[in-house]
Amino acid sequence: MTHRQRFTCDDVTPTSEAPAQPPREIPDDIFSTAEIPYPSERPLNVYAFDPSLGKFVGNQMVTHVRYESLQPGPIGERFAVIDYDGSQKTFYKPVDLDDPKLLMTHGLPPSEADPRFHQQMVYAVASETLQRFEFALGRRVRWRTRLDRSHPPAPRGASRRLSLFPHAMCEANAFYSPDAHGILFGYFKASRTNPGRNLPGQTVFTCLSHDIIVHETTHAIVDGIREHFMEPTNVDVAAFHEAFADLAALFLHFSHKEVLVDTLQKTGGKLFEYKLKGDAELAPGGTPAIQSQLSTENPLIALATQFGEAAGRQSSLRSALMTPATPDGAKDIATKIEPHERGSILVAAVFDAYFTVYGRRTFDLFRIFRAGGGSVDKADLPAPLANRLAMEASRTAEEFFSLCARALDYCPPVDITFGDFLRALLTAHLDYTPDDPDRIRDALMQAFRLRGIVAENATAFSEDALFWPKVVRGSLRVPGLTFGDPNGLTKEEKDHNGDVLRAFAVTHADKLGFDAKAGKIEAPSFHPMFSTGKDGKLYVSMVVELVQTVRVPFGLGIPGTFPLRNGVTLLIAQDPPDHDKRPEPRVRFVIPKLYRPEREERVRNFYIASGRATTQPTGHDDDKRFRLDFALLHAGV
Amino acid sequence: MPRSHPTSAKSSSPQQRKPAGRAGTGRKRSVPAANVAASPALPVKAASGLRVRMYRIGFGDFFLLSIPTQTGASHILIDCGVHAKDLGSMRAAVTQMARDCGNRLALVIMTHRHADHISGFGSCADIFAQIEVARVWMPWFENPANPKAAAFQASLVAMAGDLGRQFRARLAAGPDPEADQLLSMAENITGGLGVAGIAANQKALNVLHGGFKGTQPEHDYYKAGDPPVLPPDLAAAGLTAEILGPPIDDVLIGQMTNKNQQYLAGATESSEQPDRLKPFGNAFRGKREDYCDKAFAPYGYDRMLRMLHGAQPDVLAAQAQAADKTLNNQSLVILFSFGGKNLLFAGDAQWGNWENFLYGGAYGTPGHTQLTAKAQDILGKIDFYKVGHHGSANATPKDAVKAMRIGCVGMCSTQEHAYNEVPRAPLLDALRQRMNDQLARSDQVAAGAEAPANPQAGPLPKAFTAPSQQLFIDYDF
Repeated sequence: MTHRQRFTCDDVTPTSEAPAQPPREIPDDIFSTAEIPYPSERPLNVYAFDPSLGKFVGNQMVTHVRYESLQPGPIGERFAVIDYDGSQKTFYKPVDLDDPKLLMTHGLPPSEADPRFHQQMVYAVASETLQRFEFALGRRVRWRTRLDRSHPPAPRGASRRLSLFPHAMCEANAFYSPDAHGILFGYFKASRTNPGRNLPGQTVFTCLSHDIIVHETTHAIVDGIREHFMEPTNVDVAAFHEAFADLAALFLHFSHKEVLVDTLQKTGGKLFEYKLKGDAELAPGGTPAIQSQLSTENPLIALATQFGEAAGRQSSLRSALMTPATPDGAKDIATKIEPHERGSILVAAVFDAYFTVYGRRTFDLFRIFRAGGGSVDKADLPAPLANRLAMEASRTAEEFFSLCARALDYCPPVDITFGDFLRALLTAHLDYTPDDPDRIRDALMQAFRLRGIVAENATAFSEDALFWPKVVRGSLRVPGLTFGDPNGLTKEEKDHNGDVLRAFAVTHADKLGFDAKAGKIEAPSFHPMFSTGKDGKLYVSMVVELVQTVRVPFGLGIPGTFPLRNGVTLLIAQDPPDHDKRPEPRVRFVIPKLYRPEREERVRNFYIASGRATTQPTGHDDDKRFRLDFALLHAGV
Repeated sequence: MPRSHPTSAKSSSPQQRKPAGRAGTGRKRSVPAANVAASPALPVKAASGLRVRMYRIGFGDFFLLSIPTQTGASHILIDCGVHAKDLGSMRAAVTQMARDCGNRLALVIMTHRHADHISGFGSCADIFAQIEVARVWMPWFENPANPKAAAFQASLVAMAGDLGRQFRARLAAGPDPEADQLLSMAENITGGLGVAGIAANQKALNVLHGGFKGTQPEHDYYKAGDPPVLPPDLAAAGLTAEILGPPIDDVLIGQMTNKNQQYLAGATESSEQPDRLKPFGNAFRGKREDYCDKAFAPYGYDRMLRMLHGAQPDVLAAQAQAADKTLNNQSLVILFSFGGKNLLFAGDAQWGNWENFLYGGAYGTPGHTQLTAKAQDILGKIDFYKVGHHGSANATPKDAVKAMRIGCVGMCSTQEHAYNEVPRAPLLDALRQRMNDQLARSDQVAAGAEAPANPQAGPLPKAFTAPSQQLFIDYDF
C-alpha cells in the first residue's frame, strides 16, 4: 500500500484534459492555438569544471539540454539517475526538475552538500555529452545491453535508457559498467597530507566533476557504437578508450565561452600554455604577495583537477602535452603501457594538431592586431580580439570533436590501434570535408608522426597512403539494403537488413578478405546516417560492421580458447535516384582487420601477458575475461 | 598418509636424455655432495662438482650453490625464507646448510625482502652468527646510502603493517579465506610481528646487514646491468655472474623521488574504514518509492541492488596485491656461468621485471614484441633455471619458456595451497616438457617426519638426487 501515493495524480488528469475538447460552437482554427509551446531546451546549473575551482570565472555555469518531461530522479528518455548509495545502503531523495520552483531557477544552485544538485549535474552533463555525439554522428546512439547467458535476455527498450548512479560507492573511482547498464560514480575522502586545493580529508564527489561525467558517458557511447572495442586485444585498446574519452572531455571545455575568453586574455592568445598568469601584475622574478598574483593552471587543458589533487596524483596529461614533439619524444610510445599514460600520448597528438590549426586560423588576427600597434606580450588582449579568438577556438574545437566522433565509424570493428585511429581520422575528414584549406589532415598526420604513432600495413606515411583504400565506384553493391529515415529503422527493417548483410558477407567473403570456411560472419551493427555535405546535398549512407569470430586454443599447455575476431567496417552509400531508378547501394570503403598469423600471435600473447589465460574456463562467463573492466582500469587513475 | 614418498621408486615417466656433461646412465648417486665439500681440490674439468641444493621448508626459497675451487668447494646461499605453509623444518634446514658449507659462505644473495626469501636469517640468527660470510648481494632498493630507496622501503613496510592489522580485524570478525590470503600477502612484506615487537623481516635484514660471524661481509646493491663483484676464490675458480634485474623503473623512481611520496601516502590513507564517511545529512535520505517503476525498468530493482552491493570496492585487497607485486619486482635476477654451464636464478621477478630483460622495453609496444637477441641468446644456452615465484603464471612468461634450451634443468621451490594458483600446473607442464622432464619440485621430498612429500607432485625426476631422502634435493652437474 506504500505505493498508493504515487497514483494520486490520476484523479486530476481528466480535469486538466477537459479544455482540450473545444466547445462545439467555435469553428476549428488550424492557424491558432492557445497551447504554450514546449521549450526546446532546459537550462540547468552545473559546474563547468568541479567544485574545487569555486567561483573561478565561469565555473558555475548554466548548461542547456534538450527539453523533455522528467520524473523525479531525474528519469528521462535516455538517462535514469538513481541515487542509491551502496556504501551507506540508502537511497537519497531524487530531484524533481519539473518542480515549478526549480523551473524558475535553472534547477538547484551548485552545492556539494545537496545530493539533489549532484543528480541534476550528472543528468545535465551526461545529456549534453550524448547530444553532442548524436549531433556529430547524425544518428541516435544506442546503449549496449550486455547480459551473460544466465540472465533472461534484456527487455525491449532497455537500450534506450542508461542508469547513472551518482553515489554508488565510497571509492576514488568512477566507471562505466556494462553489467550495471550504467555509470557508477564514487565519492571519497581527500588525501590528508597533500589534498591540493581541497580541505584535508574533505569528501570529494566524482559525480561533480564535469570531466569525469563526460569521460564515463563517452565510454558508454563508444561501447554502444562498437560491440568489440571492449576487448583489449593489444596494448593500444585500453589506452584508446581512455584517450578518446579524455578528448571528448577536453574539447567540451572549449565550448565554455567565459573561461575561454578569460584564458585567452591571460595567455595572450596562446591557449596551449599550461600556466595562467595572475590577475595582478607581478614584476619579473618577483615573489607573489597576494593571491591574485599567483599563477594558476590553465583549466582548459587540465582534466579532473579536483579528483587528481584529492587523490594525491598528478595528471599524466600535462606531462604528455609538455613532452616536446620531437623524434626523441617518440620514445614514449615504445615504453608507456599504462593505459592512461599511453592514452595521453594520443590525446597530446590530437591536441597538437588542434592548437596548430587554431594557430593557422588566428595568425591573421594577430598580424592585424600588431599592425595596429598592439602587443600581445605586454597588455591583456583587447576584448574584441579575445572574442574573435574565442570564436575560432571554439569553432575549431567543435570541428575536432565532430571529427573524432565521426572517426569512430571509420575504425575497423575489432582490435583498434592508435594507427587505425589516425587513418580513421584522416579518412573521415576527407570524406566529410574534401577541401582542407587549414591543412587539418596534415597537422594531424605530422602530430602523430612526431609521437611515433604509425599505422601498420600502410605503405607510406603520406595522406594518400594513410586513407583507407576506397572501393572502385560501383564494383561492390549491396542490393536490397534499407536505409529508413533519420529517425531510425523499424524492427522489420532491421531484421531484413541483418539478413541482407549476412548473405552479402558470405557471397563476397573473398573480396572482403574473409575466409568463409573459418566461421560464421555476423553483422553486429548497421547504422543509417543522413548528413548534409558542404555542397548542400543530402548524403544517405550506412556504417556496417561484419565480424567473424574464431575460437583459437591458447596452446602451450594452457587450457581453453580465446576468441579471435576478424572484421571489416563497411561504409555504404545510397545514391540518389537516377533516371527514375534508385541505384543499388554501393560500398565505398572496406576498412579491414583481417586474419593474419602475426595478429593471432599478438592477441594470444597479449591475453596471456595480461593474465587472461589463467582462469579456468567456466561455461558462459568464459568471454567476460576478454573484456575491459573499467572498474579496474580507473581505480588506478 | 604415507610417511615419506618413495622418491627412488620406478618412475612412470619415459626415460629422458641426460643433461649434457653427465656421464653414465641410470640413477646416479655416486658423487654425493658431502664428498665435494670435504675433499680437496678436484681437477676443475668442465663443471663437475658444481651443485645446486634446494631445501624444503614450505612456501619459500632456500638454495645453496656449491662451486668447486682450488681450495675445496665454495658456497653461495641464495635466499633463506619461508612464509605461508611453514613446515617447521627451517631450523633443521639451516643447521644442515651450516654443516654443508662448513660455516663459511663465500656469498649470500638476498633476491628481495619478502619473508618467504629471508625469514630464515631472522629465525635462525644464532646459527648465522656462527657463519662467516665474505660478500652479500642485494637489490639496489636495499642500499642504505640511497635515502630515497630506504624511505620507499620503509613506507612500503609501514603500509603493509597497516594493511595486516586491518586484515586481522576482518579475520577476528569471522573466518574469511580471502582475508587470510591477503593477511599472508601483507605479512610477507613485514614478516609479521616477532616476539620483541620488531617486524620479523627487519630482524632478518639486520642479520643480512651485519649479523654474521667475525668481520662483516662487504655489501653490494645491484640493478640490471651492473658488473657484479665476486669473492676472489669464486672468481679465481672461473665463476662469472651477470645481473639481469631488477631494472631501474622510471615509474617507481618517479614515485620515490616525489617529495610527498604521494603514491604511498594516498594508499595508506584511503585504507581508513570507508563506512565512516557519511556524505549527506539525514534529511536527504530517500526510499525506493521516491522513484517511478520506469527507473528500474531494464533489469529490475533487485538485480540493480545486488549489482551495486557487489561493486563496493575492496581497496585494501587492491593495495595488498599492488604492494606484493612491487616487492616481487625488486628481485635480483642473476645469471651464473661456470665451466660452460649457465644457471639462471630469477628470484620472484614478475612480468614487469622480466619484460625489460626479455623484450628490451614494455612488451607489445612497437619494437618490443619479440625477445631481444640477447635474451634469446641467454635463454637458449641456460642449463639450469630456478623457477620464478614458486611457479606462478606471471613470473615465467611463455616466450621465456619457449626460448629456453631444450633439456635444461629446473628447480621450483613451492608448496600447494599457499597462494592462489601457485604453482601453476600448465606452466610447470610447459617447463617440464621443455626440460625433458628434468624439473624438480621442493615438495617431492619430505621435510621431516611431520611433513611428507606431496604425492600430487609426482616422483623426483631421475636427474636429481635426495641423498638423505628428506629436507633437500640436489642437482649435480
